Amino acid sequence: MLNTVMLLSALMPIPQGPQFAPPVRLKGGDAFVAVEAPGFAAPSWHDVDGDGRKDLVVGQFRDGKMHLFKNEGDGKLAAGTWIMAEGNIAQVPGVW
Amino acid sequence: MDLDGDGNLDILSGSYSRDGEDMAGLFQVLHGKADRTFAAATVLNGSDGQPLILPTRGGRDNITDRICTRPFAVDLDGDGKLDIVSGNFTGTFAWFRGEGNGKFTPTSEPLPATGKLQVDAHSDPFLIDWDGDGDFDLLSGSSAGGVFLFANDGSKTEPEFGKRQTLLKPAGHGHDGDGELVFGDAHLQGPQGSTRVWADDVDGDGKLDLLVGDTVTLHFCADGVDEQTARSKDAEWQKKQQKLFESMTGDDADARAQFQKAWEELRAERETFLREQMTGSVWLLRQQ
Repeated sequence: MLNTVMLLSALMPIPQGPQFAPPVRLKGGDAFVAVEAPGFAAPSWHDVDGDGRKDLVVGQFRDGKMHLFKNEGDGKLAAGTWIMAEGNIAQVPGVW
Repeated sequence: MDLDGDGNLDILSGSYSRDGEDMAGLFQVLHGKADRTFAAATVLNGSDGQPLILPTRGGRDNITDRICTRPFAVDLDGDGKLDIVSGNFTGTFAWFRGEGNGKFTPTSEPLPATGKLQVDAHSDPFLIDWDGDGDFDLLSGSSAGGVFLFANDGSKTEPEFGKRQTLLKPAGHGHDGDGELVFGDAHLQGPQGSTRVWADDVDGDGKLDLLVGDTVTLHFCADGVDEQTARSKDAEWQKKQQKLFESMTGDDADARAQFQKAWEELRAERETFLREQMTGSVWLLRQQ
């Protein structure tokens, strides 16, 4: 009996390290969070608007622009708006 | 993060390269203001007044060492001053020590490690106490995708990163472009290539989750073309593409121009039945 248990244990996959639920593709409003071509979505999670909830900021390669998706609570994010700098859409130079 | 210690949230970014000089991705900062708006991006200088630049091994083959894929500000050695850990195109990690108040040493050093500290390309450092032992561990995405952990086997003041562990298996280069042509985005089940990582307790259950950005090429039928026709035409097109690449001979300007013209014509032909869209998504991986 003990041998059988040991054999079954050896055959059963043992989880290694942290386990994650299946990935969820995030939405902002009703649309999936998406960046412009050629891609390279770079997320960060900060309370940008100071309402006590962390928001999603997503950088992209094209023009070095960033989208802000405000956290509306209950797991919902608002539709994205561009991060602005001095009245213009913020851009990081040297990315095109 | 608050890079300059003025109490306002700043944005720190890497970049691909400056113009007009040797290739080097500069660090850029959008300083936050008290009203929660941001100033335009400015180059981050070292304490010598010159732009912070990643080191290179030298030589034409290693110019990608200086492409800054991601900087991350963190007090890595516990001295109360923010440091910068940066990734690069090559896939390694550089450490610029902080001197306080948003100042950094002009030269960097490799992150201390027990072995090879590298991802395949496009290193993407994110530092957090992932294993809860009180020091900063290193997470990274990569060009091939996936999420990797290099646990800190050193201490809070003397970090030393251990062997690479895989938290999320890489999707691999060209994952979305190999095999049978798939249309739309409904087939996407998780992060693809060129992953960018953030870790936080996003769902508030007390466990660290992962936010993972990626890059993917999606395919759509051109207007008036059905999937079967697009798939059939693309199979023929792939043969033409292979033939074109095999026919390329010579490396002089004329040969390159001739190849470029033929390539552009072939690309235009493909667009009559197939549309490509490069984009990227953000995925939430909740830790259970």
